[in-house]
Amino acid sequence: MKFNLIFGGVIAAIAGLAFVVLTFERLPVDSTQGGFRGTSMGRVDNPRTVAALAVRNQAPPASEAADDSGPRASEIYENVQVLGHLSIEQFGRIMLAMSEWIYPNAENPAESCNGCHVPGNFAAEGMYQKTVARRMLQMVQTINSTYSSHVQQVGVTCYTCHRGQAVPAAVWAEAPPNARLHRLLSTAPADNRPVVANAYSSLPTDAYSAFLTRDSQVGVAGTSARQADNNSSIRQTEWTWSIMMHMSTSLGVNCTFCHNSRNFSGWQDSTPKRVTAWHGLRMVRSINNDYIDPLQPEFPPHRLGPMGDPLKVNCSTCHMGVNQPLLGAPMLRDYPELNPPPRSASLELPASRN
Amino acid sequence: MEYQYLFTRLQPKGPSYPGVPLPAGNDARVGKPLHSRLLGYIADAQIGPFYLGYLGVLSVLSILFSLTIIGFNMLASVNWNVVQFIRLLPWLSLEAPLPVHGLRIPPLAEGGWWLAAGFFMTAGLLLFAARTYRRAAALGMGQHTFYAFMGAIWLIVVLGFIRPIAMGSWSEAVPFGIFPHLDWTAAFSIRYGNLFYNPFHALSIVFLYGSVLLFAMHAATIMAVGRFGGEREVELTVDRGTAAERAGLFWRWTMGFNATYESIHRWAWWFAILTPITGGIGILITGTVVDNWFLWAVEKRFAPSYPAVWGVIPVPSN
Amino acid sequence: MAVLSFEQKYRVRGGTLVGGDLFDFWVGPFFVGFFGVTTIFFTVVGVGLILVGAAHGGTWNPWLINIAPPDLKYGLGLAPIYEGGLWQAITICAIGAFVSWALRQAEIARKLGMGMHIPWAYGMAIFAYVTLVVIRPLLMGAWGHGFPYGIFSHLDWVSNVGYQYLHFHYNPAHMIAVSFFFITTLALGLHASLVLAAINPASGEPVKTPEHENTFYRDFIGYSIGTLGIHRLGLFLALSAGFWSAVCIVISGPFWTRGWPEWWNWWLQLPIWN
Repeated sequence: MKFNLIFGGVIAAIAGLAFVVLTFERLPVDSTQGGFRGTSMGRVDNPRTVAALAVRNQAPPASEAADDSGPRASEIYENVQVLGHLSIEQFGRIMLAMSEWIYPNAENPAESCNGCHVPGNFAAEGMYQKTVARRMLQMVQTINSTYSSHVQQVGVTCYTCHRGQAVPAAVWAEAPPNARLHRLLSTAPADNRPVVANAYSSLPTDAYSAFLTRDSQVGVAGTSARQADNNSSIRQTEWTWSIMMHMSTSLGVNCTFCHNSRNFSGWQDSTPKRVTAWHGLRMVRSINNDYIDPLQPEFPPHRLGPMGDPLKVNCSTCHMGVNQPLLGAPMLRDYPELNPPPRSASLELPASRN
Repeated sequence: MEYQYLFTRLQPKGPSYPGVPLPAGNDARVGKPLHSRLLGYIADAQIGPFYLGYLGVLSVLSILFSLTIIGFNMLASVNWNVVQFIRLLPWLSLEAPLPVHGLRIPPLAEGGWWLAAGFFMTAGLLLFAARTYRRAAALGMGQHTFYAFMGAIWLIVVLGFIRPIAMGSWSEAVPFGIFPHLDWTAAFSIRYGNLFYNPFHALSIVFLYGSVLLFAMHAATIMAVGRFGGEREVELTVDRGTAAERAGLFWRWTMGFNATYESIHRWAWWFAILTPITGGIGILITGTVVDNWFLWAVEKRFAPSYPAVWGVIPVPSN
Repeated sequence: MAVLSFEQKYRVRGGTLVGGDLFDFWVGPFFVGFFGVTTIFFTVVGVGLILVGAAHGGTWNPWLINIAPPDLKYGLGLAPIYEGGLWQAITICAIGAFVSWALRQAEIARKLGMGMHIPWAYGMAIFAYVTLVVIRPLLMGAWGHGFPYGIFSHLDWVSNVGYQYLHFHYNPAHMIAVSFFFITTLALGLHASLVLAAINPASGEPVKTPEHENTFYRDFIGYSIGTLGIHRLGLFLALSAGFWSAVCIVISGPFWTRGWPEWWNWWLQLPIWN
């Protein structure tokens, strides 16, 4: 009896140890302070994970800069609609860059230039990728100008999302409900599935549609102690939390990166990152609503989601697990071709300012 | 090594104790008592007899019915796939009605089953509480267990019934489900400005931790005087012996004051019952009286302020 | 006044661990002992340092007094006195006082011929505290990971540590600890009720016996754990609550850096679900 007890105990201990070693992480860990000492705001990172992410988020080396003198691309080439203001050298450079960023496999006859262009006829229409690419170029210009509040000095290029793939690795589309709606039984179609989107919790699974296309209100906590007109429900709070889970995991950070959880809604209790994220939310909505969703008629069925909508952008599309895409590498600086065209093409001096 | 009173070394065998005879008006007890040697190492070895009773049967049936409702709805939510049911069980739920239904009885598929499950669970608990009353009365004992139970039921009824009614919506109530009810708990705190700043929440935690502290203190004390028969609490209360004297003196010499064999149970009883009572009050006044507890604390001047390490944050606007 | 009617015969010499007869005396109802002296020393110094910190912090409002740990940048070294050094000194005093208290409890138990259960149980609480302010900060490389000493500020720390792991309720050890907390409170309520119900019976009834206690629970739920059993159970439940609390915080950070819901992926991805 005593032997059985001891033997069983040893087996249980070994099994328990194996379980713990296999399911948990190990020392050492890196922590970064993100608030006043003692508030425990800040990051806790596994250096092995960080190293692996760093390897996967390197910006490719930039090609040699192009000369911007000489005739414009629109003067020489036919059917240039968005980048006509560039010089021919610049135009060729950005076209080459785009083919490497999106259709990099030159050995595949359907990739490289032929990914967007009719083989042998650069000017021709007829390929949806070309139509989409034009809008994407305009989208990049908008992101880098209107939403510099989010992308700041780093900016984005096509590579930031595409990373050498025609379809970016982290995209989303509308999903069917988690369970068939039943006539008599309550099937909780919106949540109770642990997925990447809700960080494997039981929170709603598709916060993307609510917050990244529709402009549902994110804030739920009131702004005064005894506010009488705050109608946000606990349910709505779970939806907000779900999109916050997404933001956290896609940036590889936790809630305290932006918030002091004692007062989630208070701006002065938050960090500056929260302001950046606030702009980012609006930027993503603009990307999805103004650029991607309207392209739905252009896409063939295999490029649409299960409900027929295009594949859209969320935080992970650019961030890919790090809080600054491509670790903050300022790729845009090396590709001025992606900047919006100058407002006035003439050489008139601006009106004098008094 | 000295015997530490942790495991019983000698288990005497004797006839089972059939229980103190019940007065007229009570059913006969059911079941022939068993003896478990394994159980006897740490506690009383006798299992049974059992008092069935109408209240008990109805209570168990009610709770089982509630669990059945919950289970079938969860199974439907995984499209009747039993493997996925087992796999996803901790994440599954029976959700409360959506806010749009207010306090109306919603369709079954939209929260009606939640109401039914909640009703039968509450009914089962109330019936069980009534059972504690009857069983104690039949034996001529005090009703302390019944009142303690009602304290816990207060909290449950506040969470699932009183507060949703006060808020005008069943959607405020807690879903059935392991992880989902935890999501609800944290979402509740996020929505109402961090519940740590709710003074009744703080009080409830004081009583929760205090209960654990008290049970550790009391249980350790009794075991420490086990060699003097310290576990005979009723006898020692009416006829103080050396176990009770040493136990009291230990604490008197340690912290300057002490309880008696009876009064420690009063300390314990109040700490245990005040946990759900104050907790229920704290829940009830959240959202009804106070919408944001942190901001309330700022108003009442007990929210700490920290230096602004990030400077002034520019509030963004469209 | 300080000596109870039956107390004098128990006030005997002996049982001390350190110091022999030197501190083997009482002050009022309090037993002193060597560890009583060390307790007082650490307590006076520690409380004094807290008062220094309060004076420096600019408020005497007991809800707002806050002694914060050092910035993480000081790592495991000593921080300047008003930049977290005070916190470090207070922590040392606290551990000194708590351990002294436990050892004093051991001396008192020895003197009264009692078992050592109380100081061991108290040791579990000390273990939980030391886990929070020593073990976990050591593993994470900075004393700044300890919690601040302040009534509401320590709650801000708890809240933020929780959200550093996105949803702390999914921490499996936390779930176990919380369950033990609730079940301990339940068991305490039941035990206290039972004893009081026997000693304070229905109107007109005589005081009841342990047979009544056992009968009530066998009628009620089919099993009575017994007078000794309930105390073994209660001690186990209460100490388990403390133990698993310590576990749940020491694994958060040193042995897990992601959100806690994600830990459950080992279950979700078991091959048996194909």
